[in-house]
Amino acid sequence: MTDLKDIPLRKIIHVDMDAFYASVEQLDNPDLRGLPIAVGGGGTRGVISAASYEARKFGVRSAMSGVLARQKCRDLIFVKTRFDRYKEISKQIRAIFFDYTDLVEPLSLDEAYLDVTQNKKGHPSASMLAEEIRQRIFDEVGLTASAGISINKFIAKVASDYNKPNGQKTVNPEEVLDFLEALDIRKFYGVGKVTAEKMYQLGIFTGKDLKDQTLDFLNERFGKSGQFYYNVVRGIHLSEVKPNRIAKSVGAERTFSNNLTSEIFMLEKLDHIAEELERRLKNYSIAGKTITLKIKYSDFTTQTRSKTLSYFVSAKSLIFETAKELLYQEKLKNSVRLLGISLANLNTKKGTEKPDKKVVSVQLKFDF
Amino acid sequence: MKFIVSSTYLLKHLQVLGGVINNSNTLPILDNFLFELDNSSLKVSASDLETTMSSVLEVESDATGNIAVPARLLLDTLKTFPEQPLTFVVQDNNTIEISSNHGKYAVAYADGAEFPKTVTLDNPSSTTIVGDVLATAISKTIFAAGNDDLRPVMSGVFFQFSPQNLTFVATDAHKLVKYTRDDIAASEVAEFIMPKKPLNLLKSILAGNDVEVKVEYNDSNCKFSFENTELVSRLIDGKYPNYEAVIPKENPNKLTVERNQFLNSSRRVSIFSNKTTHQLRLKIAGAELNISAEDIDYSNKAEERLNCDYQGDDIQIGFNSRFLIEMLNNLNANDVQLEMSLPNRAGILTPIDGLDEGEQITMLVMPVMLNN
Repeated sequence: MTDLKDIPLRKIIHVDMDAFYASVEQLDNPDLRGLPIAVGGGGTRGVISAASYEARKFGVRSAMSGVLARQKCRDLIFVKTRFDRYKEISKQIRAIFFDYTDLVEPLSLDEAYLDVTQNKKGHPSASMLAEEIRQRIFDEVGLTASAGISINKFIAKVASDYNKPNGQKTVNPEEVLDFLEALDIRKFYGVGKVTAEKMYQLGIFTGKDLKDQTLDFLNERFGKSGQFYYNVVRGIHLSEVKPNRIAKSVGAERTFSNNLTSEIFMLEKLDHIAEELERRLKNYSIAGKTITLKIKYSDFTTQTRSKTLSYFVSAKSLIFETAKELLYQEKLKNSVRLLGISLANLNTKKGTEKPDKKVVSVQLKFDF
Repeated sequence: MKFIVSSTYLLKHLQVLGGVINNSNTLPILDNFLFELDNSSLKVSASDLETTMSSVLEVESDATGNIAVPARLLLDTLKTFPEQPLTFVVQDNNTIEISSNHGKYAVAYADGAEFPKTVTLDNPSSTTIVGDVLATAISKTIFAAGNDDLRPVMSGVFFQFSPQNLTFVATDAHKLVKYTRDDIAASEVAEFIMPKKPLNLLKSILAGNDVEVKVEYNDSNCKFSFENTELVSRLIDGKYPNYEAVIPKENPNKLTVERNQFLNSSRRVSIFSNKTTHQLRLKIAGAELNISAEDIDYSNKAEERLNCDYQGDDIQIGFNSRFLIEMLNNLNANDVQLEMSLPNRAGILTPIDGLDEGEQITMLVMPVMLNN
């Protein structure tokens, strides 16, 4: 078994912007500062993408439905999402990261891992670097960020949440094991609501409880994730900071203002979704082979149907035709609340995975 | 057994029949022609077990007999003679002696009884087609038939007879040709798959020939009779793919272009295409057809523009140039129409003019997906 002592020490910073979308809105529109705002979720059925700290006091959270949020906070101000603007700012922030290291792994627009074991400033203290980075983000962009600093991505991520907002937390190598033992199981990255519930049932409430379990026990209960939990609570998480994190799939979806019952009405929506997907694919200039249609029914059950083609597609017409085929493939079980199309098996896989990328065209056959 | 026959008359028939004989036979008797003499009529047959073809020749004789004569030896000898009468005499020592103006030649023969019996068709249905029409139907379709041993049904031409029309279809799963004659019909509905080899023989014999061909068929065999010749072929067993289902119904994008220009441009541009995919890229917008190809490995690239008549959305579609050229080459029209729906659906090529009364041709070609 690998031991923590045998692993070369790394210095990882997890930077997480504070209420990013909401903060950007407040930054651009001074009238909104100090007020409870929610980004997205303005319609009758949408969900909130982000809530300002003022709104969070009322219990408004991201991914909460707009209706529920309004119930929690009557003065909540809904603001439209402006992804282009968030992207722009995210780019500025990333540029700052690159002044320190090239090992930057963005998780989303508002968070990233940085490996500063070797950094461009030659600075020995990761904590001081994190301080400096946060200061620069504030000076140059005008937003606050929180940071977690530790020996691996997992702990850094957990730590960045510790002194949020506008704070940082360092978990030194010698503190790692104690920190993890004391950690609430719900705070473990990768433990969601369902897993947490399962852990509780098994009497696992803290890192300490988790550590007391044998590997076999965890494997049996949690399958593949068992090994992950077993290692992670021992401070072992070898995942590297991958500078060019490659998306595995690209998708687009839409929730309807009214549940749809007939395929006929869905075609038009599907057409829009395919168009949006094509736009996204063009943005990244990628194409994929596997098209998946996601159907969420009014009872919130979700169904997916997919088809893998022998060639890469990125054109809307082909995506739409395939999605249409998938839609008609089987009878709908209920009225439909959301449709989505995603494309996987992307042509971004690097040479190591598939040397046959040179095959640029595929002769199609009749479907006999 | 003795008969006298004109050398060129015999050669002419043997050369046609010789097309049936395989180069290498597991059954040595198949390397022979079967000679069945009945007084002044000599019936000569050749077979490869799947196809048997025979012709009845007029000779000077009052004898009867059955012998099998080595085909290659006989053909090679006959080719060298100028027109003259030849006398064939069967000797006691199992040889046949041929006498010409120049000298004598002895050939060992086998007993005619060793030769496989020609299949007789039980309860056949029948129809008649003009020879040249059948030859045209074959030549329009046969190039599209496949060579895949795993899908034997696609290695033949599908004959679909009905009281309304006769239809001939061939496909190799990449391209498909459907040739219909409304001016000819059969008394009842029938479907069978003919192998390529006998069809190629029929095509070469019947091209330009206005003779009436009687076609008789049952579940396992088909027989073509005309003049003094008969060809019996075993049919390919199996179910032909439902080809109608793959012909796209809605094709909003219609391109009309001069066939010769399209063909010549495709030929030229295809020289620059990738040597494994033979991919041509057609870009159609407005009244312009842009044909291009490139071979990235060698930095070869070509592009041509043609004027065309186009209705539909701008489209980019890739085709294998070999298929496109073969198809365009097989049409006689001045103008052709290419109908398309999507870059991953079959294109439908049809002639605008140049068809005979009652003749219809539909050609389908599956695209090559462009990955760019």
